[in-house]
Amino acid sequence: MRRISRTHVDPLTKGGKVLNDTSAANKKFQKELNSGTVALVLLCVLGRASEPMYGYQIAKHVGTRYKNLPMMKLGALYPVLRSLENAGLLASQVEPSVAGPPRRYYTITNAGRETLRRWIDIWNQTKSFVDNTLEGMGNG
Amino acid sequence: MGNSIEKYLDQMRRELSGSDPATVKDALADAEEYLRNGVDQLLKNMPKLNKVDALDRVIEEYGTAAEVAAAYKEIETRIVPPFAPPEEANGRSSGARFFGVFVDPKAYASLFYMFFSLATGIFYFVWVTTGLSLSAGLIVLIIGLPFFALFLLSVRGIALVEGRIVEALLGVRMPRRPLFSKKHLGAWGRFVALFTDSRSWFAIVYMFVQLPLGILYFSFFTTMVSLGLAGIAHPVIQYGFGLPFGHFGHTAYYIPLWLTPLVVLVGVLWILITMHLAKFVGRLHGTFAKAMLVRE
Repeated sequence: MRRISRTHVDPLTKGGKVLNDTSAANKKFQKELNSGTVALVLLCVLGRASEPMYGYQIAKHVGTRYKNLPMMKLGALYPVLRSLENAGLLASQVEPSVAGPPRRYYTITNAGRETLRRWIDIWNQTKSFVDNTLEGMGNG
Repeated sequence: MGNSIEKYLDQMRRELSGSDPATVKDALADAEEYLRNGVDQLLKNMPKLNKVDALDRVIEEYGTAAEVAAAYKEIETRIVPPFAPPEEANGRSSGARFFGVFVDPKAYASLFYMFFSLATGIFYFVWVTTGLSLSAGLIVLIIGLPFFALFLLSVRGIALVEGRIVEALLGVRMPRRPLFSKKHLGAWGRFVALFTDSRSWFAIVYMFVQLPLGILYFSFFTTMVSLGLAGIAHPVIQYGFGLPFGHFGHTAYYIPLWLTPLVVLVGVLWILITMHLAKFVGRLHGTFAKAMLVRE
């Protein structure tokens, strides 16, 4: 019997071994946090935008407004944009650009706005819950 | 410089080999957009910078091909079509693969689609014939064009829904395409865009073809499933109800007892083969639907 081989071996969960490489643990923690927050941030950026924005513009906007983006590459924003579009929260249209490759312009959909409102609520709840817990730890 | 962007894209293509072609296409388009824009911008701000260094800096921001490809792969696993289970590993033995179809939700979903396609086929066909002939008849009247525009819009809407069905049941990714590729179009501009968009017409053809295909799928798979089930139920039918295997003329044929296990076995195999066929036809139909409904 051949065994199923997985290409990705998760350093944290592999065989329940205790992780001794803290930087990998930090990376994983950060990555897990990002997987939700990046979608919220992108939705928020497009929710505030007055006109459609294309990927590079969005990446630059996020990258320069928020220096030291938490341990992630700008390239990781693009697939999130795609998945938000797939979920119907964003819409996009491709337009040729004067120089260079055609640009995909993203706009937020009504469903996206609705979702953004709910996500902001969820985020605020999560934030205050975490903040309260962390403060409690600091005082105690 | 063009060379190294090409190199980056090649590397990305290699990293993503085995992913859905749509994902690969997305990833390459996204990377090209960022890298070209990034390098142009950087060279504009720092004209003294050498092109290779500029690209290096931009890649530093964007992430290496491997890093970015990993992000796409991760997202891809998260956005697999709803209800469609992830592809099982190919590492199983051929026997396990053959019999495993009994517990493969994909096979059941495909089979369900085969039955369901008769209903959708009838609906699509009626909708399209009615819509087209009414549009043709009303074209001389003032409501002719608005009616035709509404009809075309409805076709695109139905194409989107059919795309969701295909994605859910056949597991073929059907990327959403924007209805209008330009913004700020007036009503007339939108109509012209709809009318001249080949996707509208391909969707209409698809809706026509779905009826004959639906009839074919439905009758074929109903026959196959009934034959298989008849084989499996044979002992109950012959010894429980006393019904014969078949009537030819005035003679009723019964199967001898020693053959009964064989008939049941053939019935089971028959169903297995039917389910494999359903999966196969489902894949074919998914490819067809993808080509017709979400053309680039």
